[in-house]
Amino acid sequence: MKLAIIQKRKNFFILSGFFVIVSLLSLIAWGLKMGVDFTGGSLMELQFAQRPTVEAIQTSFKEFNLGEITVQPSDENNYLIRFKDIDEETHQKIVTKLKNDFKSTTTDTAESTENTPEQPAIEVIDDSGNKLNNISFSATTSDGTKVEGKNDVKKADVTELRFDSIGPSIGQELRQKSFYAFTYAIIAIILFVAWAFRFVSKPVQSWKYGVVAVVALVHDILITIGVFVFLGHYYGIEINTPFIAAILTVFGYSVNDTIIVFDRVRENLRRYHEDFEKTVNDSVNETFVRSINTSATALFVLLAVYFFGGETVKNFVLALIVGIAVGTYSSIFIASPLLVTWHKLTERLSKNG
Amino acid sequence: MKKKIIQAITRPLNILGGLVKKLIKPVLAPAQRGKVRRSAIIVVLIVLTASAFSYPKYFNQGIDWVNKRHNWNIPQIASKDFYLGLDLQGGTHLVYEADVTNIASEDRDNAVEGVRDVIEQRVNFFGVTEPLVQTNKSGGKYKIIVELAGVKDVNEAINMIGQTPILEFKEEAKPVELTEEQKAESKKHNESQKKKGEEVLQKLKRGGDFKQFVASYSEDETSKNNGGDLGLVGSNSPFPIFYDKAKVSEKGIVPELITDSEGLNIISIGDKIPVAGNATEVKARHLLICWKDAVRCEKENTKEEAKAKIDELKKQATPENFEQLAKDNSTEPGADSSGGDLGWFQKGQMVPEFEQAVFGMAKGTVSDVVETAFGYHLILKEDEKPLYEYPIARILLKTQPETTIAPTEQWQTTGLSGKQLERAQVVFDPNTNQPQISVTFDEEGKDLFAKLTESNVNKQIAIFLDKRIISAPKVNEPIKTGTAVISGSFDIAEAKELAQRLNSGALPVPVKLLSQQTIGATLGQDSLSKSFKAGLVGFILVMIFMVLFYRLPGLVAVISLLSYVVLMMVIFKYSPLHLTLTLFGIAGFIFSMGIAVDANVLIFERLKEELKSGKPLTSAIEEGFNRAWLSIRDGNTSTLITCFIMFMFGTSTIKGFAITLSIGILVSLFSAIMITRVLLKLITPWFGKYKWLFLDKQ
Repeated sequence: MKLAIIQKRKNFFILSGFFVIVSLLSLIAWGLKMGVDFTGGSLMELQFAQRPTVEAIQTSFKEFNLGEITVQPSDENNYLIRFKDIDEETHQKIVTKLKNDFKSTTTDTAESTENTPEQPAIEVIDDSGNKLNNISFSATTSDGTKVEGKNDVKKADVTELRFDSIGPSIGQELRQKSFYAFTYAIIAIILFVAWAFRFVSKPVQSWKYGVVAVVALVHDILITIGVFVFLGHYYGIEINTPFIAAILTVFGYSVNDTIIVFDRVRENLRRYHEDFEKTVNDSVNETFVRSINTSATALFVLLAVYFFGGETVKNFVLALIVGIAVGTYSSIFIASPLLVTWHKLTERLSKNG
Repeated sequence: MKKKIIQAITRPLNILGGLVKKLIKPVLAPAQRGKVRRSAIIVVLIVLTASAFSYPKYFNQGIDWVNKRHNWNIPQIASKDFYLGLDLQGGTHLVYEADVTNIASEDRDNAVEGVRDVIEQRVNFFGVTEPLVQTNKSGGKYKIIVELAGVKDVNEAINMIGQTPILEFKEEAKPVELTEEQKAESKKHNESQKKKGEEVLQKLKRGGDFKQFVASYSEDETSKNNGGDLGLVGSNSPFPIFYDKAKVSEKGIVPELITDSEGLNIISIGDKIPVAGNATEVKARHLLICWKDAVRCEKENTKEEAKAKIDELKKQATPENFEQLAKDNSTEPGADSSGGDLGWFQKGQMVPEFEQAVFGMAKGTVSDVVETAFGYHLILKEDEKPLYEYPIARILLKTQPETTIAPTEQWQTTGLSGKQLERAQVVFDPNTNQPQISVTFDEEGKDLFAKLTESNVNKQIAIFLDKRIISAPKVNEPIKTGTAVISGSFDIAEAKELAQRLNSGALPVPVKLLSQQTIGATLGQDSLSKSFKAGLVGFILVMIFMVLFYRLPGLVAVISLLSYVVLMMVIFKYSPLHLTLTLFGIAGFIFSMGIAVDANVLIFERLKEELKSGKPLTSAIEEGFNRAWLSIRDGNTSTLITCFIMFMFGTSTIKGFAITLSIGILVSLFSAIMITRVLLKLITPWFGKYKWLFLDKQ
């Protein structure tokens, strides 16, 4: 059984062309939703015993004049809150205010509710401490006498899980770094593929393998980015530093996949001197199962991380999943067919010329 | 340039591949089964050792068991934990910008290093396991990156780190002579205290609760809140003045102001309590006749003469004439006026022979002759009474010293600080070639330093950075030029460090917090357990897939993958590189498990092809491996290149991921080529008959 992949290449070109164009257009129209890593700003993740309404959070933040505040539910009881970058002092004020505003009203010991009516609970910002069942805390009344009470609340009502505050200059620097990283990665990969195929010159020159591998790569990256443009536009998913890592990994993986198919082409060209198109189609067929299986195992583990690995790595892993799936597709259905198309084009041109 | 990088990456891979081939080829030639077995044993040993190290608990239990049975002493494997990144144990990542605008450009590097050093010192206060403080210069801007894993109070850490370092020169503190004005003032204060004390005494006489007076008048912070109680005051208590008073006073309030070092006291004495063991004190006088060699004797007579004299006196002595006899005869200096009176004393105050005699005899009698190191004694025991302790409470009214104040701290401020220090640098003594630190002050500092050194010759001047002493050189001579060298037995590194610290206070480099990323410990723990679960699920999925799809080789691949996980764990735990496990690093590790089977898949696909083309099993395996190698090498190189770029450009999150992924790729190559290959070679002949174990259809 042999699949006529090369012969039906036009269909794949049209399909991929459509997705690439849609991705490009949406990228231009909507752009990626950049996280605080890139734009500068603050991101606070809070865990509540009982999640209050978004409006309640907004009200709590009002007095700090932070401009626009976006509150987004996450996990079961968490909120992700984004606002402009602030200094540590303001941060502490916000934390104290939040702990105060969303303090529990149910305590087990009756006397402690009597003794501490609406006293601000001064707690050390110690996230692990909040897991303890018996946090003994002291509150200070207005006349300075200490009121001691046992707080038997099972769980602290607000826990600050994470706080990032990133100045605009850092974001700027990160954007610049990412740009350089992409540029260098693309150059390095073209050079590497050209080098790896340096002994193959007939009927297609080695550098063309490099260029085609990179075209396939750009295809993979654009579609992956396109997916995140959509996710950002419709679901508010932001890209951050790990997204860059994911994209760079897709760089490596996609080229890896393409190279393995090209490698087989290279080998078969040396062994049989048949028609280029047929050789390429044979090679793609021979490596088909391997390509599918390899990305299958990679996708299995990635899906496991996506579903069980927790919120923090979710989007990072999603980018990898999309990139690897598209990368596998392109190494089979785009890269090798492009090689043939290019070959035919040059043949026709040289005949005509 | 780029090509060089590529070569730098591919060349080791080529070499690795070549090496692996060389190692394997001779042992895998079909005729040499023995060698296959041998390499299989080596592989199994490597993996077993790795497993023992990666999770030593059960292995150590085994060792215990063996040790117990045979009375051997095999050492255990020290269990080691992973280095967890701050996203897993909670912590904070801070980026500061150092403001170097006021510093000459050639001094900037050093100044920022100095700040880094200061921050590192401050950070060490937080008891963080491995704090990281780095400087980073990019685009003419200096950044200081601080990572504190597991820090509890991020807020306090930020507050402490952000302070600009303060450098101070201090001299040994001296008692301060009061000015006339101050003297007058303390005198006035003391008089008013005295007046107040007398008033309180008057009020107390009229009656009232002493405790209440304590609460309203006492200035003794420690006893004020428990009714002025000082506890039981005995002969050894820190209040000898009160004890002496208590012995001669009635129970109750002593009707006078008692002066001690703290001020004026009104004391109230409670019911006296006999000292444990019914100890007593004794009032006695003695008559001493010494001889030439006795302690503190100024007489020239012999011991025999002394003995004769004392024996004669003993015959005369009665309690009535004892005082006069002592006055006339005792050789003790001053006895002619004191009559040998010793006053009251208790056990432990006299030499043992004397003590034994005096406490053993009856009251109102004269002792036999007693010999001590001082000479021969006759003792008249005049009185004996039990010892008591007294519960005493007090009201303290503090008074002020009227002439000088004793220093409370060892060092006192001099007004000379980092502001007046122009620079510090390492120089070398032209004679001994020893490194020294030269310090230069500005005009103001020159005068201050001259005065300071003049008044402190042969004394130390302490240099404080951030309120901690960093050096205390001794002043050899007055220095009036404004330049000095600090010499000592420094090595170059120490001298450089001290110079840097001095400069960090001299060239104030304010730091500004640009960004903070803080992760709570709960989130970290949560991430860790979730990642573990994800890894397990991923591993099981891959395992099922490989066995279903590739059958026996698939099973071998699973064993190889398991070995891969174990090897990775060992590398992470024991590598001298201190690899840190981060959340994204773990993601990279799990992902690399997926990629690790890739090499196996490539090999098995080739194996199937070779089998289909009718080759016998053993040579098919060999061919499969050989042909797959090129693809494996080229394919993985591209991933390694991108890892390298991530490492060059990435933040710590990305770096963690890139490092794990690249180590993962290298180890997976080893596990695919060494472990899978050797194991497959080993077991193939056992199952050669059953081709269905290798291929789904003929």
